Amino acid sequence: MLEIKDLHAAVDGKEILKGLSLTVNAGEVHAIMGPNGSGKSTLSYVLAGRAGYKITSGSIRYRGEDLAALAPEERAAKGIFLAMQYPVEIPGVTTLTFLKTALNAQRRARGESELDAMGVLKRVRARASELKVSEEMLKRALNVGFSGGEKKRLEILQMALFEPRLAILDETDSGLDIDALKLVAEGVNALRAPERAMLVITHYQRLLQYIVPDRVHVLSAGRIVREGGPELAHELEAKGYEDIVRSAA
Amino acid sequence: MNVALDARRLKAAEEFRAAGVPHRRMEAWKYSDLRPLIDAEQVASAPAAQWSIEAEGVELFDPAAGEGAFAGIMGEASLAFATATLGLRVKAAGRVRIAFATPGQARLRIVLDDGARLDYVESAPGGGLQNIGTEIVLGRGARMTHARLAQRAGGARIGDVSVTVAEGGCYRLHCADFGSDLSRLELDIKLRGIGAQAHLSGTSVLAQGLHADVTTHVDHAAGDTCSTQLFKLVAADKARAVYQGRITVRQGADGSDSRQTAKGLLLAERAEIDLKPELEIFADEVKCAHGAAVGDLDADSLFYLRSRGIADDEARALLIRAFLAEPLDEVEDEAMRAALWAAIEDALPGAMGQP
Ligand SMILES: Nc1ncnc2c1ncn2[C@@H]1O[C@H](COP(=O)(O)OP(=O)(O)OP(=O)(O)O)[C@@H](O)[C@H]1O
Ligand SMILES: [Mg+2]
Repeated sequence: MLEIKDLHAAVDGKEILKGLSLTVNAGEVHAIMGPNGSGKSTLSYVLAGRAGYKITSGSIRYRGEDLAALAPEERAAKGIFLAMQYPVEIPGVTTLTFLKTALNAQRRARGESELDAMGVLKRVRARASELKVSEEMLKRALNVGFSGGEKKRLEILQMALFEPRLAILDETDSGLDIDALKLVAEGVNALRAPERAMLVITHYQRLLQYIVPDRVHVLSAGRIVREGGPELAHELEAKGYEDIVRSAA
Repeated sequence: MNVALDARRLKAAEEFRAAGVPHRRMEAWKYSDLRPLIDAEQVASAPAAQWSIEAEGVELFDPAAGEGAFAGIMGEASLAFATATLGLRVKAAGRVRIAFATPGQARLRIVLDDGARLDYVESAPGGGLQNIGTEIVLGRGARMTHARLAQRAGGARIGDVSVTVAEGGCYRLHCADFGSDLSRLELDIKLRGIGAQAHLSGTSVLAQGLHADVTTHVDHAAGDTCSTQLFKLVAADKARAVYQGRITVRQGADGSDSRQTAKGLLLAERAEIDLKPELEIFADEVKCAHGAAVGDLDADSLFYLRSRGIADDEARALLIRAFLAEPLDEVEDEAMRAALWAAIEDALPGAMGQP
């Protein structure tokens, strides 16, 4: 599904990713952990195609295709979804209008028929009630005045709505209370399927109790310095990053 | 023949000749240079503007019987030279749709009796020299909603509007300008009576080398008067959008409340937006809030939308619409709001660099 080889990437001319390699197969969930500033969000932005994030060498292949050549919207239409660490507030665009525009843009790009307002509303409502996103929130401007946890739940609602093939969750668990964390984890687990893959970026082992990963990777200074099974997350929780980072250096 | 008016017209003509066609070295016309487009002779001999009008609940009269007020030099010119004149008087409730059909000059006088209401929609398509001077007099408790649509055009288009509002009266303006070689709406609003109100909102959406200028002066001359202004300007290519807003709160106009917001959205490096809010306060107990800011499309917002599958063009259009939404939300009449949105939809592709 996703094959990253010796990836070097720079932000505003500063190299942040320094030889990162990672393979994720369909049906798998991988967790990425690592200290603040190690490049986790940078990796997620590079995968989503954010302007200013430049691949200087190495490659990213997604379902056999070179990702670097695709615009962010093309990546979305091809099934890549990034739940952002800091969802953006957009005044003047109501959440529901945004969801409809995005869903239909993706469908159109894939050659599928567009949904009418009712069709969109039905789909949105079904997911919204599972994630406890209120009707009132859907009528408000996108993310404007939403609490931290509400923003994260809206990210997961989008994931559920768009049904991506590759979902990247960047610290979706940060700022969630325990109940919301369970809701979000259920949302993610409901989407686990043989044809889908997920990259879960987190600082906390707690999320990984609910979303049990196939592999755990530790990112430090722009590279993967350690890999393991779910037990690695426990080890990190107990010992912190210091030993691993030092032994990798 | 009204001798007083004739004298007034002569004086206006003299004053206009002395000042000449407004140009950028005049403070009030700093961002709108008329001189390269027209000369004084063309103004003095401009043909009579023609219009089509639908009116209900309105008495027509010959405005020759009144003293003329104006907002700026070109309003004064319309007073001096316009041969086309129209007077509208509303005693109870009126509705007017007026479309100016050709370039030319005109002078209008609109009078609302105490407690009267008027819903007034004006379209000023421009072309050549269009100079429309309008004087509006609102009686006690009178309410007028003035919508003005200035379509994308060529030439010099000037709207000069002078408004006086008596006690408890309310003047509302919604304007949309899609630019011309030079397009200017100049307003002078006097809140003369206690509790008088003015609420102004507008948008300019400009592409290519087009220009649009909204210049307002709101004069709080009595206590407990209230004014709000909300203008949003979008400029693409080499376009230039201007907002100048002066608010005066006179001595004794205590309890006045004025709010003014002007925001600009620059879509290209060579585009220009000039915002010039000014506040003169001579009263003690007043509330004033004003803000002006120019920015470009937010990169984070654009990326967020694109990462959700919305193509670059569509995402930009969505953000531009979102930027413009606030002043349009102020338009109470649904049909009017829809018409303004439709005009904006027409202008968006041009503003985004599509043919
Ligand atoms: N525009 C930029 N210019 C220069 N450096 C940047 C820029 N954006 C990010 N960085 C740097 O890149 C490094 C990696 O940042 P990134 O956000 O990817 O870290 P992270 O692993 O997601 O951290 P956190 O756990 O705090 O979210 C940081 O040192 C950050 O300061
Ligand atoms: Mg991060």
